[in-house]
Amino acid sequence: MNDKTASGSGPANPSAEALRIGVYICRCGGNISDVVDVERVAEVCRHLPGVVTANVHTFMCSDPGQKNISEDIRNEKLNRVVVASCSPFLHELTFRGAVQRGGLNPYLYEHANIREQCSWSHKHDPQGATAKAIRLIAAAVGKLRYAEPLDQIRLPNQRQALVVGGGVAGMKAAADLAGRGIPVLLVEQSERLGGQVNRWNRVFPTEQPAAELLGALRKQVEGHPRIEILLRSRVTKISGFIGNFQVTVEGQIGPAGRRTEVAVTVGALVMATGFLPYAPRDGEYAYHRHPAVLTTPEFLELLRHAPDAATLQFQGRPVRSIAFIHCVGSRQVDGVQEPQADGKINNYCSRVCCTTVLQQALAVRQRFPETEVFDLHQDIRTYGRGHEDYYIQASQAGVIFFRYHGDEIPTVAPRTDAPAGAPPLRLTFKDYLTWGEELTLDVDMLVLAVGMTAGTCQSLVEQLKLPCGEDRFLQEIHPKLRPVEISVNGVLLAGAVQGPMNIRETLAAAGAAAVKAAAILAKEQVELNPYVAQVDADLCEGTGQCVEQCEYDGALRLVQVTNGDGKARQRAEVNPGLCVGCGACVAVCPARAINLNGWRLDQYEAMVDGLVAEAPALAAATA
Amino acid sequence: MIALGKPDRQTDVLVVGGGISGLQTALDLADQGYQVTVVERQPSIGGRMIALSKVFPTLDCASCITTPRMSAAAHHSGIDLLTYTEVDSILPEGAGHRVLVTHKPTYVDRDKCIGCRLCEYACDAEYPDPFEQGIAPIRAIAVPFTTAIPQKAILNAEYCMTCGSCARVCPTDAIDYDQQPVRESIQAGAVVIASGYALNALTAKPQYNAQRSGNIISPLTMERLLAPHAPHGRVLRPSDGKIPGSIAFVQCAGSRDETVGVAYCSRVCCMYAIKQAMLLSGALPIADITIYYMDIRAFGKGYEQFYQNAKAMGINFVRGKVARIEPVDSDDLLVHVEVTEEAAGAMQKRRHDLVVLAQGMIPQWNPSVASPVRLGGDGFVATPDATSPASTHVPGIFVAGTAAGPKDIVDSIAEAGAAAMEVSRYLYQHAAKAGGPGTAPAPRRVALKLAATGS
Repeated sequence: MNDKTASGSGPANPSAEALRIGVYICRCGGNISDVVDVERVAEVCRHLPGVVTANVHTFMCSDPGQKNISEDIRNEKLNRVVVASCSPFLHELTFRGAVQRGGLNPYLYEHANIREQCSWSHKHDPQGATAKAIRLIAAAVGKLRYAEPLDQIRLPNQRQALVVGGGVAGMKAAADLAGRGIPVLLVEQSERLGGQVNRWNRVFPTEQPAAELLGALRKQVEGHPRIEILLRSRVTKISGFIGNFQVTVEGQIGPAGRRTEVAVTVGALVMATGFLPYAPRDGEYAYHRHPAVLTTPEFLELLRHAPDAATLQFQGRPVRSIAFIHCVGSRQVDGVQEPQADGKINNYCSRVCCTTVLQQALAVRQRFPETEVFDLHQDIRTYGRGHEDYYIQASQAGVIFFRYHGDEIPTVAPRTDAPAGAPPLRLTFKDYLTWGEELTLDVDMLVLAVGMTAGTCQSLVEQLKLPCGEDRFLQEIHPKLRPVEISVNGVLLAGAVQGPMNIRETLAAAGAAAVKAAAILAKEQVELNPYVAQVDADLCEGTGQCVEQCEYDGALRLVQVTNGDGKARQRAEVNPGLCVGCGACVAVCPARAINLNGWRLDQYEAMVDGLVAEAPALAAATA
Repeated sequence: MIALGKPDRQTDVLVVGGGISGLQTALDLADQGYQVTVVERQPSIGGRMIALSKVFPTLDCASCITTPRMSAAAHHSGIDLLTYTEVDSILPEGAGHRVLVTHKPTYVDRDKCIGCRLCEYACDAEYPDPFEQGIAPIRAIAVPFTTAIPQKAILNAEYCMTCGSCARVCPTDAIDYDQQPVRESIQAGAVVIASGYALNALTAKPQYNAQRSGNIISPLTMERLLAPHAPHGRVLRPSDGKIPGSIAFVQCAGSRDETVGVAYCSRVCCMYAIKQAMLLSGALPIADITIYYMDIRAFGKGYEQFYQNAKAMGINFVRGKVARIEPVDSDDLLVHVEVTEEAAGAMQKRRHDLVVLAQGMIPQWNPSVASPVRLGGDGFVATPDATSPASTHVPGIFVAGTAAGPKDIVDSIAEAGAAAMEVSRYLYQHAAKAGGPGTAPAPRRVALKLAATGS
């Protein structure tokens, strides 16, 4: 955070007598105080050793709440701060900022979670919750007793970016970053840019030819002096951290088109690997059981080549009727649809299929006026700007709509007994626009509106340890406020790699990802969390057990050091850029020579003491 | 052309609107080192989001996740906030735009006010609190709400009795009954319009009779009734303070309806109705909750699963466009609806204690009267560049969030980021053309530091 107050190390660790701890308890507008007796908590906390003030506020995270903390630090000469509120996931950084604005080192602050881990989980036990809140705060106070000022680790930033995937999202992100002055390497595995949209005809809602849109994007990236495009290439190796990712790309690179490798170091990485259309199983709605059952991309291909006529033609036969089924591979229901290969069902909505179907249905009615169109949906989700018009126009153009329930999906059977020239496919379903009436519908063609499934970026997911959600798409940090960031710093999500979205939404997400990358790359240095392992060279015996335990390549290694006595010894050494602070090394060190800054063993012990303190001891504190 | 003279203030980027979209745009720009000025017409930043109860599909409390953004913007060295300020015009000027604004009088000297609220406690005049959608009173002089930024008192001259109590208790002598509007001229390198949305009238459909019943309420009122720090601390219906036993949500009550002039989908109503229904079933476990809808549009990430959870919780989903709402005895309401999903279908009348109408989203502000920006047929800012959802017809003016059409918070956040990106590109290109300081000359091919590793 770029703050108005300059950072700086706070005072050194004071002796126990000199501790001046402020405790700040949040009501969270009732989220906490409806269950926890916060006034009583404050009263008890005022008597904990080292605590000089304990205050309650309705919203500690609000500006007045934060100001309360900063001003107390100055006026009450506080040298440690505890905030008891929601999860640190939400507000640790907020309060670190407030502490810093008060002139204190931001790591002399501890967060006690009395909402998610207390008031919300013990809603029906106010007394118990109040007692637990006191213990959680006592633990934080104990931990602070041994806290030391820490500084963020600053490392040089490689001010260039890697964009993985050359579809709409990747091209947009690359064009944005290069347009902002940042060099970009754009890696695409296929032989051309454009991704899935290469298969599209026209894009909704503008009806612009997809090729034209892709052309406009290509023009922004091809030949750009700051963009290097590698086609038929893939990222084979990636390691490192924000500001410093080491990447190896393999592909047919160079004029000879020889298979070769290049290495590049980048400060930020944009994932734009896109999605795959859902592939129906053999037999799902008679797919692959009858040639006239197509998916939406396949139908698009047919439409692209079909000449305008009274009736659409398919394999030399007139198509007098087409049915579209929505939600194929989306909104699946447990026990109704067969699970996918990984045992899960696709219970999510794919967002784009409704408008896609109506766009295609309308195109059929306009280009082939004697081809009837039937639409079988659960809900028509034409939510976007200009999308509802497709629904209105399709209705006006004579598309006939039926509504099925997700737990009673239509059945499709090829009609073996159909007389020559009769429609070869029979659909049976219950229509809930007409009171659940059971209907049969015979059609010449069936189009399955297939949804979006997560794309293929397994190797990067594994190497960077990127989290994926239940839906297999990459999992953003917060689905509301941080949709393009992921828990690995320096990696941004652009487009359908994060979840189904249409082109306009993809462009927006790519821009949002690019701007986050630009903010990272705008700085000469990156600032990293100081919670990394630290070796006490005097205690270290050089057994190497910590190195064996470490899962992060290069984070820990053994080095030769020469002591004053002239003897060479082995000692463990931490690379703070690569250490993630997991603590695996701490657990195995026989000499207790390795510790995590901010989470040292003596701090854990003090926390446990605070948590398990006899209730009478806490009560006595109030006496 | 009018000579605009020397500006009072210069900024890299001016953002119109301090809601979640405007703040996100400002933060994404300021984090790159740009100086940003946010102009907000309300007394506090935070927009619509800060007044919500919880957000779908995470059910995070809205205050808890909005205040950090507000606070981050307020404390950012690269962001200036001008609250209670109207934008009068945006005109092309030099390499950027000249924005004329008016700081409306708050009758409190904002430099002197320390937010102690003594004036508020001393004030005897009250009016319906706009932040609480009028379901609770606020004093004529008050800090707008607990989490407001800035924490400065503002006096509502319409309700003030000029009794002088506030001036007497103010410890910093900040009350100024004679304060006048102040105009300011700001030169901005680029402008982002993030002016947000309004809702069409609760009475837009006369057959819903909102004008005849206090128990037909806006979804924003329901947000306040459900907020963790709600004025009444529980859900009570307006007419008689009764705890409602049966609550109906009537969807598409101002959207997807050409009779009210809004043919488009407002995009968020399905999800907030489901969210409110879930929160209500938590707050009023025995209440009967029905959502009357045409299509449930749970399209976003995690939304369908959220909808299915609501069904499993026992919330009634009834498909049908409500024809009429009829106020009856005991302030209750009869909802006339054609039920298409039951065998015994046809027209039914169902009785409810409280009805929430899903009003349609319309633009909050029409920027085309103050700037060269053009609108689409739906009245929202047009975005003609197919490769840039944040670009308007005017180079140097961009758009973010619901100013460019209805959307939910996460989609607004994404577009806000995209707008910030387009602005950065625009400013960079302009600085490069002008050969301004800090811009490297355009590099020749391959500025990227690549190293062949051999094959």
